[in-house]
Amino acid sequence: MATFALILDTIREAMARKVFWAFFFASSAILLFFMFIMHVDVVNGIVASMTIFQAQAHTRGELSAEKLVQGAQGGLSVFLYTIGMGLAIFASAGLISAVFEPGRVELVLSKPVGRTQVLLGRYVGNLLIVAANLAYLTLGVWIIFGVKVGVWRPHLLLASVLTLFMFSVMLAFILFISVLWESAAVSIIATFALIVICLVLGAKDGIEKLLSNEFSRDVVDALYYILPKVPDAGKMMTHVITGQPIENWMPVWSSALFGIVALGSGLWIFQKRNF
Amino acid sequence: MTYAIETEGLVKVYKQRWTKREMRAVDGISLKVEPGATFGLLGPNGAGKTTFVKMLLACAHPTAGRALVFGKDSWIPESRRSIGYLPENHRFPTYLTGAGMLDFYGALSGVDAATRKKRIPELLDMVGLDRWGTTRLGKYSKGMLQRVGLAQALIHEPKLLVLDEPSDGVDPVGRKQIRDILHGLEEKGVTIFLNSHLLQEVELFCRDVAIIRKGQVALEGRVKDLTSEGGYRVDLEHAPDNLATELKSRAKAVVSSNGNLQFLFSTREEANLALDTVRAANCEVESMTRASSTLEEVFIRTVEQK
Repeated sequence: MATFALILDTIREAMARKVFWAFFFASSAILLFFMFIMHVDVVNGIVASMTIFQAQAHTRGELSAEKLVQGAQGGLSVFLYTIGMGLAIFASAGLISAVFEPGRVELVLSKPVGRTQVLLGRYVGNLLIVAANLAYLTLGVWIIFGVKVGVWRPHLLLASVLTLFMFSVMLAFILFISVLWESAAVSIIATFALIVICLVLGAKDGIEKLLSNEFSRDVVDALYYILPKVPDAGKMMTHVITGQPIENWMPVWSSALFGIVALGSGLWIFQKRNF
Repeated sequence: MTYAIETEGLVKVYKQRWTKREMRAVDGISLKVEPGATFGLLGPNGAGKTTFVKMLLACAHPTAGRALVFGKDSWIPESRRSIGYLPENHRFPTYLTGAGMLDFYGALSGVDAATRKKRIPELLDMVGLDRWGTTRLGKYSKGMLQRVGLAQALIHEPKLLVLDEPSDGVDPVGRKQIRDILHGLEEKGVTIFLNSHLLQEVELFCRDVAIIRKGQVALEGRVKDLTSEGGYRVDLEHAPDNLATELKSRAKAVVSSNGNLQFLFSTREEANLALDTVRAANCEVESMTRASSTLEEVFIRTVEQK
């Protein structure tokens, strides 16, 4: 009951913050665009005509309906993985650090609930609201394209699961930094810094070639394996969208490990904190 | 006997994160509060009152010693099921309505949905906010927040109520209302632990008090015992000089006001002897009363001790 109340409270607080409504309206705008602005005629699996704002959209050569849907899903997936995740991080940091507000944390801790429960309730609630936003947009786009074009590719849904997974890892890091600093601003800066480092480490082979020192190469190598694989997961997503098989799951499990350690450390520090 | 609150050598030392400098906020407090008591915790700013309360509620870890609530270690979540708490500088979620807030904290306190549904209107009515249940807390005044805060502390019918400055920001009518609620709870056997700067409020309401100074209990006891140490006061109107001099030599204090003299004697015997002297000098006694210190006087004497 208490865990459910904590999750529900997080969702209520998210709803009270305008940024989550902004996500909802942005998603609705995208859905309305695909629903009413874009018109596609498909004949025998080939796009016969496509209009956007009643203007004819030109395609290079013959475009199959399958390719059209794949392209749209790919574009949306990249958008969600980059811009969408960035905005979600921005919105979530405030939601996590709100737990530690003086006068609020004491009241929650005075109730017969464990500290782990308090923080996990926030984490899960935050994850659920982002998942709901993500599901609203991706399911909506999937259904619109399915109905309009007649192609029901599940790849977008799988790609959004990967995006949500990577967000859950980042959210664990936000939680860890928030417990340490009790500041939304610091956790946003730290998380974006982490993403930048991860992106740089994505080119580790190139970096290692530039390094003459063996120790420096080992450090880069270690960091690569310890930190989340943001670019690698992005590449996996393109594989998912294009329907190519995924041969190496290391980016997923090693990122999950990072997330578990960050979440566990955050919970452990929260247990030790005085308020 | 299982005490409502029992602490043994409770110590809290805060260390600064970078400099590692130590600050001893609570320095070995051992306190026992009987079930059903009304207990006031007093002390100047920075004496360690809030830290003590935070350790009771598991918001802060004791460096040494332990705190028990109805015999259970305060660190065990289950022990907090019997506590209702109203913090001093509370920050209730402003996105919730009054009823929504009570529902949330009620759920956290382990109250089932059906009971919450029944209790919430009752509590809102009790604190005089029955028409404000559907209004967001962001629109509440400070006094209203204090009253709805009291309601949230009572949602699970706690056996122990810990109140930190409960009438802070509340108007006199609201204060009386809060006091009446607390008296009602006292009659039901709820233990009330009051942490307040308002000494008059504590004196009016609490049976027992403890005064904390520099993290230690400097004085503890029943309010009536602590405030009855004043002795006996004899008032005279227009006493002749020789009588005034005679009585001044025996009294422990003399107050002169508009020609009237007020002598303070330590014991009843001394006061009666003074009456005999006054009557022998053919003077009239205006009044003789048992003098008592106010809690404020006791408090100031205690905290100013070196």
